[in-house]
Amino acid sequence: MKTTKIYEGTHQWIMFGRDEGKPSNIIDTNQYVVRTANRCLLLDPGGAELFAPMMAAVLHHAPVDQITDLFASHQDPDVISSLGLWDQALTNARLHAPAIWEGFLRHYSCESIEYVPIPDNGGTIKLESVELQIIPAHYLHSSGNFHVYDPQAKILMSGDVGAAFEAPDSPVFVDNFAVHVEKMRHWHQRMMPSNQAKRVWIERVRNLDIDILAPQHGRMFRGDDVKRFLDWFDALQVGIAV
Amino acid sequence: MTNQTKSQFIAVASITSELSAVMVVAKEISLAAANAKAIAFRAGDKAKGFQPITDFINELAKETIELVTNINIYALVLYRLTVNEFQKTTAYNKFELAAKMAESDGAVYANTMQGPVDHARLSMQDCQRQFKRDVSQLLGQLEAVMHHARAARVIAANSRIEASQAGEYLQSLQAVAESVDKAAHTIHDNVQRCRIALSIYRNS
Ligand SMILES: [Fe+2]
Ligand SMILES: [Fe+2]
Repeated sequence: MKTTKIYEGTHQWIMFGRDEGKPSNIIDTNQYVVRTANRCLLLDPGGAELFAPMMAAVLHHAPVDQITDLFASHQDPDVISSLGLWDQALTNARLHAPAIWEGFLRHYSCESIEYVPIPDNGGTIKLESVELQIIPAHYLHSSGNFHVYDPQAKILMSGDVGAAFEAPDSPVFVDNFAVHVEKMRHWHQRMMPSNQAKRVWIERVRNLDIDILAPQHGRMFRGDDVKRFLDWFDALQVGIAV
Repeated sequence: MTNQTKSQFIAVASITSELSAVMVVAKEISLAAANAKAIAFRAGDKAKGFQPITDFINELAKETIELVTNINIYALVLYRLTVNEFQKTTAYNKFELAAKMAESDGAVYANTMQGPVDHARLSMQDCQRQFKRDVSQLLGQLEAVMHHARAARVIAANSRIEASQAGEYLQSLQAVAESVDKAAHTIHDNVQRCRIALSIYRNS
């Protein structure tokens, strides 16, 4: 598992991805960790297949008992099918996930972990002195969907928005936006169902001060590429399958 | 999924299917008993010895149905245990793998994985023990059904003797005896198959 520190301040953001041991027939994902002095939050912790390498990677940064929070942007298996395993490994943890998916996500088994349902209008996650904002992103692509914004680190973890699929050893940041666009186009057109939802989300996100846009697949966007992405996405027609 | 887990799932599933067949047959016996009772009633004195036998057959069928109903509940418990054991075993294996990976990569907090690994091992072993214990109990209940089936065959043999003295009712009463015998045979065979499927998991 490749590890990249993307923010270092009073707390840290670490990106995990490009797992070499991953079976080739499952989708490649990025996992993010927010680390404070005594706690650790895993954002979209990944599929069951990824549990062992992900846990091993996190153990470089935190002991097991300091993994206190998980966040699932939506209910997809590539996001959170590892839940049943985290549930058995962590004795003192909470899962922040969309309220409407609670009955569904519990199929993965969520007994010792406390399910903290996120209402449709979002909320916050407090990790010691760090306060993260939960930004609604419904219908992008899931009907109950959230992103996480850290105003201090200026990072927006954007779930499946901004996702791209490419070679397993590709860099973690976009370096040529024009080239990168083609790796994203079909995904966004096919996976995102609603132009209206997209418009509302873009309006909301344009008001945030973002240094890094961090999707669950592919490469992160930084600096001007964040704005480039928002402009490109704004102009894109989505929901093309009907 | 390991072969061991697979065959455990199959063994537990096969109990339910064998037992549903036993249920059908036990209901057939119950029907045969009601039939025999009617014939014996019409035959009056000629089937005097047959009347108490029909009550006995009926009783036996009822008890078998009751036993099988109980065993089915047990089989469901066993199924849940098997699912549970499978999940615990998967977790244990993944935790061990994570601990090994963390250690070989020199992760600072690799040793903190020891707690979850130990805990997962204990719960996995707990499940295995509980499964064995429950299988032993289930085998005991299956033994009781076998016992009933054997008793039914003895009764069927007696019925044949009594039927031979029933004059013109001989044929219909003999048919009753035969159907009881056949049903008892089927029950015996099905239950035997359940026992064989389960016996490898018995508490030794
Ligand atoms: Fe998704
Ligand atoms: Fe995804």
